[in-house]
Amino acid sequence: MAGPPPTVAVDAMGGDRAPREIVAGALTAAEHLDVHVLLVGRIEELHPLLPDPLPSRVEIRDARDVIAMDDEPVSAVRKQRDSSILVCARAVRDGDADATVSAGNTGAITAAAVLRMKRFRGVPSPAIAVPIPVPGDHPQVLVDAGAVVAPSAERLVQFARMGAAYASARYGIDAPTIGLLSNGEEAGKGDELRKHTHELLLEEPGFVGNVEGRDFMHAGRADVIVTDGFTGNVALKSLEGALRSLASLVFDVLDATPEARAASKVVLPKLLEAAEIYDPEVTGGAVLLGVGGVCVISHGSSSGRAIENAVRVAAECVESDVVARMQEAVSRAG
Amino acid sequence: MPAETHVGRTPLGPDEVLTLVRERLAAILEIEEDRVTLDARFADDLDADSLALIELVEELEEELGERTVGFRVDDEDLADLHTVREAVDYIVVRLAAADGATS
Repeated sequence: MAGPPPTVAVDAMGGDRAPREIVAGALTAAEHLDVHVLLVGRIEELHPLLPDPLPSRVEIRDARDVIAMDDEPVSAVRKQRDSSILVCARAVRDGDADATVSAGNTGAITAAAVLRMKRFRGVPSPAIAVPIPVPGDHPQVLVDAGAVVAPSAERLVQFARMGAAYASARYGIDAPTIGLLSNGEEAGKGDELRKHTHELLLEEPGFVGNVEGRDFMHAGRADVIVTDGFTGNVALKSLEGALRSLASLVFDVLDATPEARAASKVVLPKLLEAAEIYDPEVTGGAVLLGVGGVCVISHGSSSGRAIENAVRVAAECVESDVVARMQEAVSRAG
Repeated sequence: MPAETHVGRTPLGPDEVLTLVRERLAAILEIEEDRVTLDARFADDLDADSLALIELVEELEEELGERTVGFRVDDEDLADLHTVREAVDYIVVRLAAADGATS
């Protein structure tokens, strides 16, 4: 029997377009999805953006402080205890919400999650999992996309285990394959960290060896791509930049001549439809791995549509019991 | 005679504070308690980052705040606490100050 719909705490003050776009996305999510939404932020800024009466699936919770995108994260969560980010994390800890979504300061979201939801035993700090779109297939999961800049080989193995559990729960993959991002497929390629990690990963089920940057966005290479947070972030931003450049090129070509413009009337709708998987507004954001609650991090410039999708991802994570499955993967491995 | 706290418990002394810090920090960092010596440096010896120290501070404030009303670690002081000894000494002084204020 299905339980009550999950409650998602949405940080209404986080992100470049907060609170207007965040509130709009949260309202749409509550209308279209089987979720309750707990909107957290300065109540006087939220009220003008909300319908009266409030939809039955939407609640508001006041939070007086706002952590800015450029605040130093750890110091900010310590000083701004009544910030929307911390109040969201506290709602999950206290059982008032099942998950949280924020487009705010990533470091502060991570710190708040650690302080309020607590880390898994054996996980010193959480990692960030980002879905990488793959045409015609489920997304690949990139871990870590920026949380732990200089991890040990043992930590990378932990990322692999959590990433595999996450991919399995989120995308229904029975036995996810794991690749280690390096500068060549051969086992001996890479720096000392990569070589050592490769040795350790040989013991892990699903490990398919090293993968390269060109293996992103390709079906059948690896369901989970593991790397340190520094490299992961550079890889992610490189993919985003390359896609943007490619899109710009296509639009330029389709607008170059009268014939191309005529052709674009036929081609463009199909192209845009196919390219939707690359739209970060659709992917729903990153998920924090290694903390005792669902925490979805949406990108800073999130629109209402991105927030709606982030709420959807949060609800799906709750329903597929992602946290318990990752925790089990980490504790089982010892 | 020790000053009264709000629940009538006696304030903690340095040894008890050390025991509490050792127990909580070891749990947060998942290390053996005997590594948390008075001379241990948070960053260099225990590999405790700023977030781990905030976790410690919050747990101590919760635990000690129940015994001594008004106990709090000032954010400005945190940056000056580099070793376990400095933290224990600081907490003992703050407990005495909070205790004096409520007696």
